[in-house]
Amino acid sequence: MNMDRRIVFILVALAVIIPMLLSVNLPVSVSEPTQKFYDYVEALPAGSTIMIAFDYGPSSLAELNPMAKALLKQCFDKDIRVIGITLVVDAPTLVSDLIQEVAAEKEAVEGEDYVFLGYRPGDVQVILGIGTDIASVYDTDYNGTAISEIPMMQNITNYDQIDLLVDFASSDTIESWIIYANVQYNQKIAAGVTGVIIAQMFPYLQTGQLVGLLSGILGAAEYENLVGAPAKGMQWINVESFVHLLIVVLVIIGNITYFIHRAREE
Amino acid sequence: MKRQVPLVLCFVFGIAMIFTRFSPHSVSQWIYEEVISWVLIIGPFALVLATVTLIQTHTTRIRRRTEHWQYSLVVFAGLTIMVVIGIRFGPQNSIFEWLYNNVQLPMDATMFSLLAFFIASAAYRAFRARTFEASLLLITAVVVMMGNVPMGDFIWNSIMSWSPWADKVSEARQWILDNPNLSARRGIILGVSLGVISQSIRIILGIERSYLGGGD
Repeated sequence: MNMDRRIVFILVALAVIIPMLLSVNLPVSVSEPTQKFYDYVEALPAGSTIMIAFDYGPSSLAELNPMAKALLKQCFDKDIRVIGITLVVDAPTLVSDLIQEVAAEKEAVEGEDYVFLGYRPGDVQVILGIGTDIASVYDTDYNGTAISEIPMMQNITNYDQIDLLVDFASSDTIESWIIYANVQYNQKIAAGVTGVIIAQMFPYLQTGQLVGLLSGILGAAEYENLVGAPAKGMQWINVESFVHLLIVVLVIIGNITYFIHRAREE
Repeated sequence: MKRQVPLVLCFVFGIAMIFTRFSPHSVSQWIYEEVISWVLIIGPFALVLATVTLIQTHTTRIRRRTEHWQYSLVVFAGLTIMVVIGIRFGPQNSIFEWLYNNVQLPMDATMFSLLAFFIASAAYRAFRARTFEASLLLITAVVVMMGNVPMGDFIWNSIMSWSPWADKVSEARQWILDNPNLSARRGIILGVSLGVISQSIRIILGIERSYLGGGD
């Protein structure tokens, strides 16, 4: 028996829409990789510097924006300075909007508490360039202000002054950061990635090359929980729950019909 | 000469960069930093190359009137509008931001969202326990999928709350990711890394020349 694919599509749409309308709230427990990530940031003293690479475009915004937002809130609450960059060409506008939104909420000051340097072409070149001198890669920030005129950048030259690098990634940029920033410059790295590539990250977590790891929308929900600011992550993980359940049910129905069909043929 | 010069450059810079990796001497580090700054300049040319290739491909489509050639006109319209506004007024211009937030962002997000529909349909049609291996894959996928969402814990704990196996779905998912998945991934990483090293040596020594285009 083959169900018309349009019925499957309608079921998926309903599995997304109904939980959103009903605002279902399932309890979210925190996994070890997320807890490690949170603990590492929590342990940083006020005045530390985190570089966040927002390496995702609009297609992965739903999964990665909530976790980025939760981390930014935690950083601004703890007076940790944030340097934002991106290796993805279509990311700057969405990243700039995101940082400004959280900064306005937390009353963080641009140039003192955070700076967004924008995009420069070339993944490996940028990662290695930051290792020698950030100003050689970014002579100005996203607004065009010379890096030498930005107060919080006065004593930051390269990875030596960055306490943690966080990569929010939807592709293999995280492996480039590990290979070139961690291995070559001993830069501590944590990552938040889309659910699709999470399985690739576990070897790096086990070796300690990643100090923490957020896994897709589940990681975002867990982090929002830890930061104490439930938002989109918490909302969407509940929606995702129903879609996962639907897919599992569809797979079970598909297999039952398959075995019935096979038994009849025999 | 056209082939010798790139081969010599590749050999010299390849050996020099390997040398700088293992030597902390100031001259070695100066060479390293100098080459990195050159690379930063060369990097953006990839963007130029990509743009030229895009224009060539779509110009050819329009000229030959291939199937759906009209979409190539849309590509040129999008490219022209964004480039002109972006270069003339900068990426923080309100029109540029409006186009990004109201055209590009929803289109990208929509394309990615469609995956959920196709994955659900494909899983229903193709995920069959036909063999032992397929059954193993199926069970693993179900455990990871349900362990990845709070619904999995909720259902499992509701049914198994009386037993010692309560709260085990997330643990099972984590075990799968930490053990079989990690082992397989590490094997792949090691294999790929060894391949990259051997290929790099072949390129530096001029044995592998396909990057120059054409045959030997």
